Amino acid sequence: MKKLVSIGKASVLFIAVALLPVLAVAQSDAQRIAELEAKTAAMAEALTALQGELKQAKQDGTLANTAELKSEIVKATQYAQRAEKAANEWKNSTAVTHIAGYAAVGYTDEENAMDSFDVANFNPIYHFQYGDRILWESELEVNVGDDGQTEVGLEYSTIDIFLNDYAVLVAGKFISPLGQFRQNIHPSWINKSVSAPPGFGHDGAAPLTDVGLQIRGGVPLGEQVKITYSGFVANGPRLEGEGGELHGIDTDGFASDADDEKVFGGRLSILPLPKLEIGISGAFGDAAIVENDGLGLVGDPSRDYQVFGVDYAYQWGNFDFRGEYIEQDVGNAAGSVASKGGKWATWYTQTAYKFGDAKWEGVVRYADYDSPHGDETQKQWALGINYLLTPNAIIKLGYEFNDGLAGEKTDNDRLLIQVAYGY
Amino acid sequence: MKKYSWKFPLIVTLAVPLVFGGLFAYQDATAEDTAGSTPADPMQFVRGAKTWANTCARCHNMRDPRELRDDQWQGVVAHMRVRANLTGKEARDVLLFLQQSN
Repeated sequence: MKKLVSIGKASVLFIAVALLPVLAVAQSDAQRIAELEAKTAAMAEALTALQGELKQAKQDGTLANTAELKSEIVKATQYAQRAEKAANEWKNSTAVTHIAGYAAVGYTDEENAMDSFDVANFNPIYHFQYGDRILWESELEVNVGDDGQTEVGLEYSTIDIFLNDYAVLVAGKFISPLGQFRQNIHPSWINKSVSAPPGFGHDGAAPLTDVGLQIRGGVPLGEQVKITYSGFVANGPRLEGEGGELHGIDTDGFASDADDEKVFGGRLSILPLPKLEIGISGAFGDAAIVENDGLGLVGDPSRDYQVFGVDYAYQWGNFDFRGEYIEQDVGNAAGSVASKGGKWATWYTQTAYKFGDAKWEGVVRYADYDSPHGDETQKQWALGINYLLTPNAIIKLGYEFNDGLAGEKTDNDRLLIQVAYGY
Repeated sequence: MKKYSWKFPLIVTLAVPLVFGGLFAYQDATAEDTAGSTPADPMQFVRGAKTWANTCARCHNMRDPRELRDDQWQGVVAHMRVRANLTGKEARDVLLFLQQSN
């Protein structure tokens, strides 16, 4: 019996020992469950917080605007790209249009004449350019006449084709390339004196314009020396007769050739120094009288017509020196209403000096114009002082000492004031 | 004066560009040298400034580069290339100088 009790105790002890690991595992699972529950609770809490934030975000509309915002950013980027392209289009366009020109107003106080505001001109210049190949340029000349009527003229209109780096073909009505004053110096904002030198105006010694073809350009000779050239073929001038005499040479540029004989000419210049230019000009051809005593004339015999000129320009420090001689020579013509020819010749030399921070400019010019008609012949000293409002806007005050035929306008001294603006 | 045909002098006149440069040696330099782009030749700006200083003042007062926009200078320089007998290279140099100085 005692043995049976012992066996029973032993069995119980064995079972207890055997269950110990099971109990330990059960204890571990409980802890794990507790930890998991804690974690789950924490996650639930975090989820609740996130849900709250999400709800708040939805209420604030933040999320709803995000897509819209993205769309706006894309649109803004595209707009900026288009704007940038548009802003640079003008830089890249092949065709360019530009308006330039000049204008002037003035006052003249002349001996033996009425003082008056007698200069009011407006010369717009239109540039139409296609790349580096073609330039169409036209200048209008708008004036107020003595009678108050507005006069409009076509100063020049040419198509310029850039053949290569050294040659430009110019076709149309062009400013005469003979000499320098007419083609480069005559605009009022460039001319340092108030007036053109005698003989460089209408019916004078210097040709003004012509209609035809011209080729011009520049060619460098080494590093410093350069030559420039121009050659042309054109309709040429028309002659005017009056009282059996050759009255004048009209070089306003005509779109028809009255004598069917072209005029050929050109100018060649050399620049031995960058700021020194010496030029020589010449032209030859035929011309005929087409107007006699104010009436049209057809069939008057043509006659020789020649032009010769030399010019120079030099800048040294604040000094500007320039001068020019030019003549137009018309031959005799038997059987003409004015058989005797004539020569119109003029020259001038001018010195200008800038001072006062280049705002002021003093100018002195001497000119001598000889014409077959005594009332046109004139010698002139012109003194002037200019104030440069800007480099292209000038107030000019000048005084001319004129020596011509007594009693003629060419003998009257003049005080001139002019405001000129080049744009 | 002896009468002549105008055709021969016309041909002679048109032959001038052949002598001086060659009609078929046209240089299309619109893209690389102008419109404010960085010049391929770094000396182009310097050459342009020099030509501008030497050439423009031969006839008129110097114009301020800031006076006009890039495209406006384009038309003006083309005009002055004809009027002042600039070479194409000189014109491109001056244009670049003006466009980068305004």
